[in-house]
Amino acid sequence: MKTKIALLILFISGSMFAQEQKMTAAEIAQFKEDVNVVAKKIKTLSTDFVQYKHLDFLSKDIETSGKMIFKEPALLQWQYKKPYHYSITFKNGKILINDEGKKSAVDIGNSKIFARINKLIVGSVSGNMFDDKEFTISYFKLKGQNLAKFIPKDAMLKKYIKQIELTFDKEEATVVQVKLLESSEDYTRIVLKNKVINAKIDDSVFTN
Amino acid sequence: MQKSTIQFLLINCFLAIVLISCGSVTKNFTPKKLDKTFYTVPYFADSKTDYVYKTNISVYGNEISGIFIAKKINDTTHRIVFTTEFGNKLMDFEISDNEFKVNSIVSELDRKILINTLKEDFRLLLKKEYLIQEQFENESADIYKSADGKRDNYIFISKKDQKLEKILLSSKTKEKFTLLFNSENNIFAEKIQIIHQNIKLKIELNYFKSE
Repeated sequence: MKTKIALLILFISGSMFAQEQKMTAAEIAQFKEDVNVVAKKIKTLSTDFVQYKHLDFLSKDIETSGKMIFKEPALLQWQYKKPYHYSITFKNGKILINDEGKKSAVDIGNSKIFARINKLIVGSVSGNMFDDKEFTISYFKLKGQNLAKFIPKDAMLKKYIKQIELTFDKEEATVVQVKLLESSEDYTRIVLKNKVINAKIDDSVFTN
Repeated sequence: MQKSTIQFLLINCFLAIVLISCGSVTKNFTPKKLDKTFYTVPYFADSKTDYVYKTNISVYGNEISGIFIAKKINDTTHRIVFTTEFGNKLMDFEISDNEFKVNSIVSELDRKILINTLKEDFRLLLKKEYLIQEQFENESADIYKSADGKRDNYIFISKKDQKLEKILLSSKTKEKFTLLFNSENNIFAEKIQIIHQNIKLKIELNYFKSE
Protein backbone atom coordinates (compact mmCIF):
# COMPACT_ATOMS: atom_id res chain seq x y z
CA MET A 1 0.00 0.00 0.00
CA LYS A 2 2.76 2.36 1.04
CA THR A 3 4.68 1.75 -2.18
CA LYS A 4 1.51 2.36 -4.15
CA ILE A 5 1.05 5.76 -2.50
CA ALA A 6 4.73 6.56 -2.97
CA LEU A 7 4.44 5.65 -6.65
CA LEU A 8 1.31 7.71 -7.00
CA ILE A 9 2.99 10.72 -5.41
CA LEU A 10 6.00 10.22 -7.65
CA PHE A 11 3.73 9.99 -10.67
CA ILE A 12 1.79 13.14 -9.76
CA SER A 13 4.87 15.18 -8.90
CA GLY A 14 6.63 13.82 -11.97
CA SER A 15 3.86 14.98 -14.25
CA MET A 16 3.75 18.33 -12.45
CA PHE A 17 7.41 18.91 -13.14
CA ALA A 18 6.87 17.83 -16.72
CA GLN A 19 4.50 20.76 -17.22
CA GLU A 20 7.32 23.27 -17.08
CA GLN A 21 10.37 22.07 -18.94
CA LYS A 22 13.51 24.06 -19.63
CA MET A 23 14.23 24.90 -23.29
CA THR A 24 17.47 23.89 -24.96
CA ALA A 25 19.73 26.57 -26.43
CA ALA A 26 18.48 25.77 -29.93
CA GLU A 27 14.85 25.99 -28.79
CA ILE A 28 15.50 29.33 -27.13
CA ALA A 29 17.04 30.74 -30.33
CA GLN A 30 14.10 29.49 -32.41
CA PHE A 31 11.52 30.80 -29.93
CA LYS A 32 13.10 34.28 -29.77
CA GLU A 33 13.29 34.38 -33.54
CA ASP A 34 9.58 33.46 -33.88
CA VAL A 35 8.50 36.09 -31.34
CA ASN A 36 10.68 38.81 -32.87
CA VAL A 37 9.34 38.17 -36.36
CA VAL A 38 5.75 38.58 -35.13
CA ALA A 39 6.55 41.54 -32.83
CA LYS A 40 8.27 43.41 -35.66
CA LYS A 41 5.13 43.21 -37.77
CA ILE A 42 2.98 44.78 -35.04
CA LYS A 43 2.05 48.35 -35.95
CA THR A 44 -1.11 48.44 -33.86
CA LEU A 45 -2.54 46.04 -31.35
CA SER A 46 -5.74 45.94 -29.38
CA THR A 47 -6.77 43.28 -26.95
CA ASP A 48 -9.28 42.56 -24.21
CA PHE A 49 -7.79 41.73 -20.86
CA VAL A 50 -8.79 40.34 -17.49
CA GLN A 51 -6.60 41.29 -14.56
CA TYR A 52 -6.43 39.08 -11.49
CA LYS A 53 -4.79 40.60 -8.45
CA HIS A 54 -3.69 37.85 -6.15
CA LEU A 55 -2.90 38.65 -2.54
CA ASP A 56 -2.09 35.73 -0.36
CA PHE A 57 -4.40 36.73 2.50
CA LEU A 58 -7.52 37.25 0.36
CA SER A 59 -10.04 34.50 -0.23
CA LYS A 60 -10.52 35.51 -3.87
CA ASP A 61 -8.46 37.28 -6.53
CA ILE A 62 -9.58 40.83 -7.30
CA GLU A 63 -10.83 40.82 -10.86
CA THR A 64 -10.91 43.84 -13.17
CA SER A 65 -11.16 43.88 -16.94
CA GLY A 66 -11.07 46.08 -20.00
CA LYS A 67 -9.20 46.80 -23.18
CA MET A 68 -5.60 47.64 -24.08
CA ILE A 69 -4.64 49.56 -27.23
CA PHE A 70 -1.14 50.08 -28.58
CA LYS A 71 0.07 51.99 -31.62
CA GLU A 72 3.63 52.28 -32.79
CA PRO A 73 5.99 53.66 -31.71
CA ALA A 74 4.81 54.48 -28.19
CA LEU A 75 1.10 55.21 -27.86
CA LEU A 76 -0.44 53.05 -25.20
CA GLN A 77 -3.76 52.97 -23.40
CA TRP A 78 -5.23 50.73 -20.73
CA GLN A 79 -8.98 51.06 -20.29
CA TYR A 80 -10.55 49.40 -17.28
CA LYS A 81 -14.26 48.94 -17.93
CA LYS A 82 -15.32 46.62 -15.12
CA PRO A 83 -16.14 47.09 -12.33
CA TYR A 84 -15.17 50.74 -12.76
CA HIS A 85 -14.18 53.05 -15.61
CA TYR A 86 -10.57 54.08 -15.44
CA SER A 87 -8.16 54.69 -18.28
CA ILE A 88 -4.47 55.46 -18.35
CA THR A 89 -2.78 56.67 -21.53
CA PHE A 90 0.93 56.95 -22.19
CA LYS A 91 1.54 59.59 -24.84
CA ASN A 92 4.49 61.87 -25.71
CA GLY A 93 6.05 61.84 -22.27
CA LYS A 94 2.69 62.33 -20.55
CA ILE A 95 0.42 60.08 -18.56
CA LEU A 96 -3.25 60.92 -19.08
CA ILE A 97 -5.74 59.56 -16.60
CA ASN A 98 -9.51 59.42 -16.75
CA ASP A 99 -10.92 58.22 -13.47
CA GLU A 100 -14.71 57.84 -13.81
CA GLY A 101 -14.77 61.08 -15.83
CA LYS A 102 -12.29 62.89 -13.61
CA LYS A 103 -9.40 63.80 -15.90
CA SER A 104 -5.81 64.47 -14.99
CA ALA A 105 -2.40 64.54 -16.64
CA VAL A 106 1.06 63.91 -15.30
CA ASP A 107 4.08 65.19 -17.18
CA ILE A 108 6.70 62.50 -16.94
CA GLY A 109 9.06 64.29 -19.33
CA ASN A 110 12.29 62.43 -19.47
CA SER A 111 11.63 60.31 -16.39
CA LYS A 112 13.80 57.26 -16.95
CA ILE A 113 11.76 55.02 -14.74
CA PHE A 114 8.56 55.77 -16.67
CA ALA A 115 10.31 55.36 -20.00
CA ARG A 116 11.35 51.97 -18.71
CA ILE A 117 7.87 51.06 -17.50
CA ASN A 118 6.41 52.13 -20.85
CA LYS A 119 8.92 50.00 -22.72
CA LEU A 120 8.20 47.17 -20.35
CA ILE A 121 4.44 47.27 -20.89
CA VAL A 122 4.74 47.50 -24.66
CA GLY A 123 7.39 44.78 -24.56
CA SER A 124 5.28 42.48 -22.44
CA VAL A 125 2.28 42.75 -24.70
CA SER A 126 4.18 42.42 -27.96
CA GLY A 127 6.55 39.90 -26.41
CA ASN A 128 9.64 41.69 -27.63
CA MET A 129 11.62 42.25 -24.46
CA PHE A 130 14.45 39.76 -24.66
CA ASP A 131 17.02 42.22 -23.39
CA ASP A 132 19.76 40.39 -21.55
CA LYS A 133 21.23 43.68 -20.31
CA GLU A 134 17.98 44.51 -18.45
CA PHE A 135 16.91 41.04 -17.34
CA THR A 136 18.12 37.63 -16.38
CA ILE A 137 15.89 35.52 -18.63
CA SER A 138 14.98 31.86 -18.44
CA TYR A 139 12.89 29.89 -20.95
CA PHE A 140 10.45 27.03 -20.49
CA LYS A 141 8.14 24.84 -22.55
CA LEU A 142 4.55 24.14 -21.53
CA LYS A 143 1.79 22.26 -23.24
CA GLY A 144 1.01 24.32 -26.38
CA GLN A 145 2.71 27.33 -24.81
CA ASN A 146 6.10 28.83 -24.13
CA LEU A 147 7.07 30.65 -20.99
CA ALA A 148 9.77 33.27 -20.46
CA LYS A 149 10.73 34.51 -16.98
CA PHE A 150 12.41 37.88 -16.62
CA ILE A 151 14.20 38.98 -13.46
CA PRO A 152 15.08 42.70 -13.54
CA LYS A 153 18.75 43.52 -13.06
CA ASP A 154 18.08 47.15 -12.17
CA ALA A 155 17.76 47.61 -8.39
CA MET A 156 15.17 50.39 -8.79
CA LEU A 157 12.90 48.27 -10.98
CA LYS A 158 13.44 45.24 -8.78
CA LYS A 159 11.94 47.11 -5.84
CA TYR A 160 8.58 47.11 -7.64
CA ILE A 161 8.71 43.93 -9.65
CA LYS A 162 10.50 40.81 -8.55
CA GLN A 163 9.82 38.88 -11.72
CA ILE A 164 7.82 39.11 -14.94
CA GLU A 165 6.49 35.98 -16.60
CA LEU A 166 5.24 36.05 -20.18
CA THR A 167 3.30 33.12 -21.51
CA PHE A 168 3.19 32.77 -25.31
CA ASP A 169 0.90 30.84 -27.57
CA LYS A 170 3.24 28.41 -29.33
CA GLU A 171 1.62 28.67 -32.75
CA GLU A 172 1.06 32.42 -32.94
CA ALA A 173 4.17 33.42 -30.94
CA THR A 174 2.17 36.16 -29.19
CA VAL A 175 1.68 36.86 -25.50
CA VAL A 176 -1.43 35.36 -23.90
CA GLN A 177 -0.63 36.06 -20.25
CA VAL A 178 1.48 38.53 -18.29
CA LYS A 179 2.29 37.79 -14.68
CA LEU A 180 3.95 40.42 -12.51
CA LEU A 181 5.31 39.02 -9.27
CA GLU A 182 5.79 41.37 -6.34
CA SER A 183 6.82 38.67 -3.92
CA SER A 184 6.43 34.93 -3.83
CA GLU A 185 2.88 35.26 -2.52
CA ASP A 186 1.55 38.34 -4.27
CA TYR A 187 1.20 38.87 -7.99
CA THR A 188 -0.87 40.42 -10.76
CA ARG A 189 -1.92 38.11 -13.57
CA ILE A 190 -3.22 39.62 -16.81
CA VAL A 191 -4.86 37.36 -19.36
CA LEU A 192 -5.03 38.76 -22.91
CA LYS A 193 -7.70 37.63 -25.32
CA ASN A 194 -9.44 38.64 -28.57
CA LYS A 195 -6.22 40.15 -29.82
CA VAL A 196 -6.42 42.19 -33.05
CA ILE A 197 -3.16 43.03 -34.79
CA ASN A 198 -2.68 45.90 -37.25
CA ALA A 199 -6.25 47.14 -37.43
CA LYS A 200 -6.48 50.86 -38.18
CA ILE A 201 -6.35 52.83 -34.92
CA ASP A 202 -6.64 56.60 -34.98
CA ASP A 203 -4.29 58.71 -32.85
CA SER A 204 -7.32 60.48 -31.37
CA VAL A 205 -8.11 57.33 -29.39
CA PHE A 206 -5.13 58.10 -27.18
CA THR A 207 -6.65 60.82 -25.06
CA ASN A 208 -8.39 61.01 -21.72
CA MET B 1 -14.88 93.32 48.27
CA GLN B 2 -15.31 94.96 44.92
CA LYS B 3 -12.01 93.52 43.77
CA SER B 4 -13.05 90.00 44.60
CA THR B 5 -16.36 90.49 42.82
CA ILE B 6 -14.53 91.49 39.68
CA GLN B 7 -12.24 88.53 40.08
CA PHE B 8 -15.22 86.28 40.60
CA LEU B 9 -16.87 87.64 37.47
CA LEU B 10 -13.71 87.25 35.48
CA ILE B 11 -13.28 83.65 36.57
CA ASN B 12 -16.90 82.99 35.80
CA CYS B 13 -16.57 84.52 32.35
CA PHE B 14 -13.41 82.51 31.75
CA LEU B 15 -15.09 79.31 32.87
CA ALA B 16 -18.07 80.07 30.70
CA ILE B 17 -15.84 80.54 27.65
CA VAL B 18 -13.99 77.30 28.38
CA LEU B 19 -17.21 75.44 28.88
CA ILE B 20 -18.71 76.82 25.69
CA SER B 21 -15.66 75.91 23.64
CA CYS B 22 -15.43 72.53 25.34
CA GLY B 23 -18.98 71.86 24.46
CA SER B 24 -18.65 72.99 20.85
CA VAL B 25 -18.84 69.45 19.48
CA THR B 26 -21.98 68.67 21.44
CA LYS B 27 -23.55 72.13 21.46
CA ASN B 28 -26.28 71.16 19.05
CA PHE B 29 -26.93 67.84 20.74
CA THR B 30 -29.54 67.19 23.39
CA PRO B 31 -28.40 64.93 26.26
CA LYS B 32 -30.34 61.74 26.63
CA LYS B 33 -30.50 58.86 29.09
CA LEU B 34 -27.97 56.13 28.28
CA ASP B 35 -29.67 53.19 26.54
CA LYS B 36 -26.52 51.04 26.08
CA THR B 37 -23.02 50.80 27.51
CA PHE B 38 -21.23 49.56 24.42
CA TYR B 39 -21.68 49.63 20.67
CA THR B 40 -20.41 47.03 18.18
CA VAL B 41 -19.67 48.28 14.67
CA PRO B 42 -21.20 46.03 12.01
CA TYR B 43 -18.80 46.93 9.18
CA PHE B 44 -15.49 45.12 8.41
CA ALA B 45 -16.45 42.46 10.93
CA ASP B 46 -16.62 39.31 8.81
CA SER B 47 -13.35 37.37 8.53
CA LYS B 48 -14.59 35.58 5.39
CA THR B 49 -15.19 38.76 3.40
CA ASP B 50 -12.57 40.51 1.26
CA TYR B 51 -13.43 44.19 1.61
CA VAL B 52 -12.36 45.72 -1.71
CA TYR B 53 -12.94 49.39 -2.55
CA LYS B 54 -12.01 51.73 -5.37
CA THR B 55 -10.30 54.59 -3.60
CA ASN B 56 -9.77 58.27 -4.26
CA ILE B 57 -7.51 60.21 -1.97
CA SER B 58 -7.37 63.95 -2.24
CA VAL B 59 -4.53 65.48 -0.28
CA TYR B 60 -3.75 69.20 -0.48
CA GLY B 61 -5.13 69.40 -4.01
CA ASN B 62 -3.39 66.25 -5.25
CA GLU B 63 -5.45 63.28 -6.34
CA ILE B 64 -4.33 59.69 -5.85
CA SER B 65 -6.48 56.75 -6.82
CA GLY B 66 -6.19 53.04 -6.37
CA ILE B 67 -7.67 50.02 -4.68
CA PHE B 68 -8.18 49.68 -0.93
CA ILE B 69 -8.36 46.18 0.47
CA ALA B 70 -9.15 45.24 4.06
CA LYS B 71 -9.44 41.79 5.54
CA LYS B 72 -9.98 40.65 9.09
CA ILE B 73 -7.13 38.18 9.64
CA ASN B 74 -7.85 37.28 13.27
CA ASP B 75 -10.03 38.38 16.21
CA THR B 76 -8.16 41.61 16.80
CA THR B 77 -6.32 42.42 13.59
CA HIS B 78 -7.07 43.64 10.07
CA ARG B 79 -4.69 43.56 7.12
CA ILE B 80 -4.88 46.63 4.90
CA VAL B 81 -3.39 46.93 1.45
CA PHE B 82 -3.51 49.86 -0.97
CA THR B 83 -2.59 49.17 -4.59
CA THR B 84 -2.68 51.09 -7.87
CA GLU B 85 -5.30 50.15 -10.48
CA PHE B 86 -2.56 48.07 -12.14
CA GLY B 87 -2.19 46.09 -8.96
CA ASN B 88 1.15 47.38 -7.70
CA LYS B 89 1.17 47.34 -3.95
CA LEU B 90 1.79 50.79 -2.44
CA MET B 91 1.17 50.08 1.24
CA ASP B 92 0.59 47.01 3.33
CA PHE B 93 -0.33 47.39 7.03
CA GLU B 94 -1.56 45.24 9.89
CA ILE B 95 -3.64 47.10 12.42
CA SER B 96 -5.46 46.39 15.69
CA ASP B 97 -6.56 48.51 18.68
CA ASN B 98 -3.07 48.40 20.17
CA GLU B 99 -0.74 47.18 17.46
CA PHE B 100 0.39 48.59 14.15
CA LYS B 101 2.79 46.99 11.72
CA VAL B 102 4.01 48.22 8.33
CA ASN B 103 4.59 45.14 6.17
CA SER B 104 5.68 47.25 3.22
CA ILE B 105 5.41 50.75 1.80
CA VAL B 106 6.89 52.23 -1.39
CA SER B 107 9.65 54.74 -0.65
CA GLU B 108 7.68 57.64 -2.21
CA LEU B 109 4.98 57.27 0.48
CA ASP B 110 7.26 56.35 3.34
CA ARG B 111 6.67 59.49 5.41
CA LYS B 112 6.06 59.35 9.13
CA ILE B 113 3.34 62.00 9.10
CA LEU B 114 1.41 60.20 6.35
CA ILE B 115 1.73 56.79 7.99
CA ASN B 116 0.63 58.16 11.38
CA THR B 117 -2.38 59.90 9.84
CA LEU B 118 -3.46 56.79 7.97
CA LYS B 119 -2.88 54.68 11.06
CA GLU B 120 -5.28 56.87 13.02
CA ASP B 121 -7.84 56.91 10.20
CA PHE B 122 -7.80 53.16 9.59
CA ARG B 123 -7.76 52.29 13.27
CA LEU B 124 -11.01 54.19 13.76
CA LEU B 125 -12.43 52.79 10.51
CA LEU B 126 -11.80 49.22 11.66
CA LYS B 127 -12.51 49.62 15.37
CA LYS B 128 -14.98 47.03 16.47
CA GLU B 129 -16.28 48.04 19.86
CA TYR B 130 -16.88 51.28 21.67
CA LEU B 131 -17.60 51.71 25.37
CA ILE B 132 -20.28 54.34 25.78
CA GLN B 133 -20.20 56.97 28.54
CA GLU B 134 -22.74 59.52 27.39
CA GLN B 135 -25.63 59.72 25.01
CA PHE B 136 -27.15 62.56 23.02
CA GLU B 137 -29.51 63.06 20.15
CA ASN B 138 -30.17 65.51 17.39
CA GLU B 139 -33.01 65.63 14.87
CA SER B 140 -31.88 62.64 12.84
CA ALA B 141 -29.58 60.53 14.99
CA ASP B 142 -28.84 59.01 18.36
CA ILE B 143 -25.32 59.99 19.32
CA TYR B 144 -23.08 57.95 21.59
CA LYS B 145 -19.95 59.36 23.16
CA SER B 146 -17.01 57.06 23.76
CA ALA B 147 -13.75 58.19 25.40
CA ASP B 148 -10.64 57.39 23.40
CA GLY B 149 -7.57 58.41 25.41
CA LYS B 150 -7.45 62.20 25.44
CA ARG B 151 -10.05 62.28 22.71
CA ASP B 152 -13.66 61.33 22.23
CA ASN B 153 -15.46 59.41 19.55
CA TYR B 154 -19.03 60.26 18.69
CA ILE B 155 -21.05 57.52 17.02
CA PHE B 156 -24.12 58.56 15.05
CA ILE B 157 -26.90 56.03 14.58
CA SER B 158 -29.70 57.17 12.32
CA LYS B 159 -33.10 57.33 14.00
CA LYS B 160 -34.85 56.40 10.77
CA ASP B 161 -33.30 52.96 10.21
CA GLN B 162 -30.83 52.41 13.04
CA LYS B 163 -27.81 52.43 10.72
CA LEU B 164 -24.34 53.56 11.69
CA GLU B 165 -23.89 56.64 9.52
CA LYS B 166 -21.08 58.64 11.07
CA ILE B 167 -18.19 58.46 13.52
CA LEU B 168 -16.54 61.64 14.63
CA LEU B 169 -13.15 61.84 16.35
CA SER B 170 -12.76 64.95 18.39
CA SER B 171 -10.36 66.48 20.89
CA LYS B 172 -11.95 68.20 23.89
CA THR B 173 -12.50 71.31 21.80
CA LYS B 174 -12.09 70.52 18.12
CA GLU B 175 -13.30 68.03 15.54
CA LYS B 176 -10.34 66.12 14.05
CA PHE B 177 -11.89 63.89 11.43
CA THR B 178 -15.12 62.25 10.43
CA LEU B 179 -16.05 58.90 8.94
CA LEU B 180 -19.24 58.84 6.87
CA PHE B 181 -20.89 55.56 5.93
CA ASN B 182 -23.50 54.64 3.34
CA SER B 183 -24.90 51.18 3.83
CA GLU B 184 -27.86 49.32 2.38
CA ASN B 185 -28.10 46.59 4.98
CA ASN B 186 -26.11 47.93 7.97
CA ILE B 187 -23.69 45.00 7.61
CA PHE B 188 -21.68 46.22 4.70
CA ALA B 189 -20.81 49.83 3.87
CA GLU B 190 -20.88 50.49 0.12
CA LYS B 191 -19.46 53.96 0.40
CA ILE B 192 -17.17 55.41 3.05
CA GLN B 193 -15.69 58.88 3.32
CA ILE B 194 -12.90 59.88 5.67
CA ILE B 195 -12.84 63.64 5.97
CA HIS B 196 -10.25 65.56 7.96
CA GLN B 197 -11.22 68.86 9.52
CA ASN B 198 -7.71 70.12 10.39
CA ILE B 199 -5.74 69.05 7.30
CA LYS B 200 -6.78 68.98 3.65
CA LEU B 201 -7.19 65.24 3.38
CA LYS B 202 -10.19 63.31 2.12
CA ILE B 203 -10.35 59.60 1.43
CA GLU B 204 -13.31 58.16 -0.44
CA LEU B 205 -13.94 54.43 -0.68
CA ASN B 206 -16.45 52.92 -3.10
CA TYR B 207 -17.11 49.21 -2.85
CA PHE B 208 -16.78 47.25 -6.06
CA LYS B 209 -17.91 43.78 -6.84
CA SER B 210 -15.40 41.58 -8.63
CA GLU B 211 -17.17 39.87 -11.49
